[in-house]
Amino acid sequence: MINKVITKGEFEKFISGIIDANETIGPKQVDTDRDGKPVYQFRQVKSFGEMDLDYTITYSSVKNFFLPFREELSRFDFSEKDWDQTVEYRVNPRAIIGVRPCDINALNILDKVLIGGAYPSPYYLARRRNTFLVGMDHEPLEDCFCESLGQDTVHRGFNLFCEDIGDKYYLTIMSSKAFRFLENVKVTDPTKEDDIKFHERRKRLRDMFKTKVEMTGLQSVMDIEFKSPVWKKWGDKCLNCGSCAMVCPTCYCYGIEENIDVGLKSSRKERVQYSCNLVDFAEVAGGHNFRPLKEDRLKYRYYHHYRGFAQNGDEPICVGCNRCGRACLAGINPKDVINELQLES
Amino acid sequence: MDYKVPKQDINTDPLLSKSPDFNRKSAVMKTDKVYKCEIINIVELTEFEKLFRLKIADRTERELFDFRPGQFAMLEVPGFGEVPLSITSSANNKEYIELCVRKAGRTTEVLHQARLGTKLGLRGPFGTSFPMEEMAGCNILLIAGGLGLAPLRAPIYWASENRNQFKEVHVLYGTKEPAQMLFTYQYGEWEKVNNIKLHTIVEKGDSDWKGRTGLITELFDEVTIDPQNTYVIVCGPPVMFKFVCHHLNGEGIPMNRMFVSLERRMHCGMGKCCRCMVGSTFTCVDGPVFDYWSVLNLKEAI
Amino acid sequence: MEYLGIEPKKARIGVFDFTCCEGCELQLANKEDSLVDFLALVEVVNFREVSSDRGQDYDIALIEGSISREDEVERLKQIREKAKILVTLGTCACFGGVNSIKNRFDIDDVVSEVYGKNKVETLPVRKVSDIVKVDLAIPGCPVSKSEVERIVVNLVTGAAVNLPKYPVCVECKQKGNTCVVDLGEICLGPVTRAGCDAACPTGKTGCLGCRGAAEDANFDSLREILREKGHSDEAIDERLRFYNAFSEELKNEG
Repeated sequence: MINKVITKGEFEKFISGIIDANETIGPKQVDTDRDGKPVYQFRQVKSFGEMDLDYTITYSSVKNFFLPFREELSRFDFSEKDWDQTVEYRVNPRAIIGVRPCDINALNILDKVLIGGAYPSPYYLARRRNTFLVGMDHEPLEDCFCESLGQDTVHRGFNLFCEDIGDKYYLTIMSSKAFRFLENVKVTDPTKEDDIKFHERRKRLRDMFKTKVEMTGLQSVMDIEFKSPVWKKWGDKCLNCGSCAMVCPTCYCYGIEENIDVGLKSSRKERVQYSCNLVDFAEVAGGHNFRPLKEDRLKYRYYHHYRGFAQNGDEPICVGCNRCGRACLAGINPKDVINELQLES
Repeated sequence: MDYKVPKQDINTDPLLSKSPDFNRKSAVMKTDKVYKCEIINIVELTEFEKLFRLKIADRTERELFDFRPGQFAMLEVPGFGEVPLSITSSANNKEYIELCVRKAGRTTEVLHQARLGTKLGLRGPFGTSFPMEEMAGCNILLIAGGLGLAPLRAPIYWASENRNQFKEVHVLYGTKEPAQMLFTYQYGEWEKVNNIKLHTIVEKGDSDWKGRTGLITELFDEVTIDPQNTYVIVCGPPVMFKFVCHHLNGEGIPMNRMFVSLERRMHCGMGKCCRCMVGSTFTCVDGPVFDYWSVLNLKEAI
Repeated sequence: MEYLGIEPKKARIGVFDFTCCEGCELQLANKEDSLVDFLALVEVVNFREVSSDRGQDYDIALIEGSISREDEVERLKQIREKAKILVTLGTCACFGGVNSIKNRFDIDDVVSEVYGKNKVETLPVRKVSDIVKVDLAIPGCPVSKSEVERIVVNLVTGAAVNLPKYPVCVECKQKGNTCVVDLGEICLGPVTRAGCDAACPTGKTGCLGCRGAAEDANFDSLREILREKGHSDEAIDERLRFYNAFSEELKNEG
């Protein structure tokens, strides 16, 4: 890890250079909400000006650039008495600019699950390794609670991270690629003054958090409160619409679909993003549903998020971005659900 | 002025070294690549169950496919999908493997139409297994309900092939009707050649049925259990193993010597898709074989 | 599939329209990139919009439209007798569709409003399953051609035929849309069966529920949410009645 500082003018030159040379994804205003406020999403960008690096939060996370909603795992080509299987996972390199600490932490969690286990996913790994990731800090929103989970700062899982210290960015360089690219522009070693500004910035951001979620002992509480009436209360409101899982930066549960093409000459096997909230997630051949009730399914998503599974070292997988809470029409959000569980126990 | 992000080949990624990659140990991770195999025999066991004997086409791949009793494989019917099936043949057999398929959905229905020579795909083996070596010197009780005999056939082969290592070997098997009994053609061999004591029971007999009728737990009166020297393997519907394990727990058999094989609908088999989760546990990688203590600890298991 | 030793059988299909706009049939003739393959998969023995053949020898009957006249009832029953598999194609056939609006008025008023003094024989609108047994329902206004293609492929090859059981929101979020309920609209996306790729919300229009109820959909919760956003029960019911696709749910609410 090497630290440098860069003026905002030089930074624009640097990012423009990356955009010109690579397929680049960045935060962009795509819509306006009911109150006239901008709605942001990660989208492909062609110029620096198209992005809004001071964006509040993207409606959906950056996850689906690594785990597409639908992706081909393999295809079978049929011949008269036989078939051939093709597995293709290679992808072209690209850059993603302006990813927030919580979203990078989310990718680090997905790394554990999808490439750290016994059977690393070549599809995810190829996308991760071929992405040049530039992270940026930001002022938290009223309902952000990443700080409660210790996910408000990030120290790995990116190529370059930029913290705003006024007219300059304080850079954390994590890869030789980023170091080499920065040779194209003017960067300097941080001065004592820059270091002070860096600490002041971090402290100011930390003090801005208004939403606190009580995480103490939550993992065992999730086990103990497995039959809590809290689940029925929220389960009755839950639409089981999967919106939370779609916008979540870490929800990765999926299903496999196989479809024969119209010409009957080949078939595609696809990974399809799913959600444990959806009605048939735990349905088995023959029709039995292991989670027949809305509350079972809602609970299950929380159980996965806050208890954690062995595959990621029994750690919670939530990063506290509250995208699920914002997307939920029924007003179900981690802060209320968890704080209620914690008080009850 | 070069800002081009270089293309990175993941086949040289350091993470690869620890990937089992179905023992292919290839440079390319092929977690979704199947072993091509051919159906070399089909046995019609009952109206709904068929036994498929599969031979992996490539010799090297055939030698790599090394499984333990209790493990399962994903059987791919190209175009239709994959089904998780426990391997029911002998772990010692390197020539072919056998899978027992019940007609339960469209993929298995299509599979039932397949003929000799049909090419299918195989991924695996996956999951945990029965600790057969640990059982040496003890009695083994193998208790199966219905289709549950299929996963038990692999440990039965193990016990038969290493018969001198074990004391008494009992198979307790119950089905709803006599016509649902699997592998009936092998019972004589198990009893006469392999010295395995077979106890059967059906819930509802027919005119030809001369054996016992009732629930599987009633068979316990035919077996004398030495709790300090007995291992148990149970496979069947959740209500069955609940009663069986409860009974045997009362007899004093330690919980970590009773093994249960759980069934859920796996989609990936690799601990990722979460479709087969029971509580916080993946049936596909943490199971399907669990000891009774672990099962009691699983939320949603029974 | 040949490799399995299964010969894919060309499906002999007949397409029949009743009270409808024929828009779903038109969908079948759309999607040029796969039309040749699609037509190779089936043998069209009766399909007024694409062929002059009027064969009676079909395995699969695709029914478009709701039933609103006595002669339609008879014709439908005859088709049922000949067809091995009867499929309702589109919202009108599956639920009654927009046509069901007629059932809310006095039938004589309706006839005189539309046809003036000309006497027209007409019945209250019914969905196909009110009259004959339906083997498979493909909802949508209009149906999605890719869904029809997938289902026909599955029928021909013997693969499982499934519609999504979850609601439209899943697809809407995947599209990256801004939620139209948040924007102040009534949207039935949270209770409507997915499969349309969230076409209406993507166009900034609230879902009208043409694909009917998603499985175990939470109507009470959606109603509560919409009320809190300031929508009246009348407006919500009006939306639920649009395609007559939620008649069961409205009935249960009393």
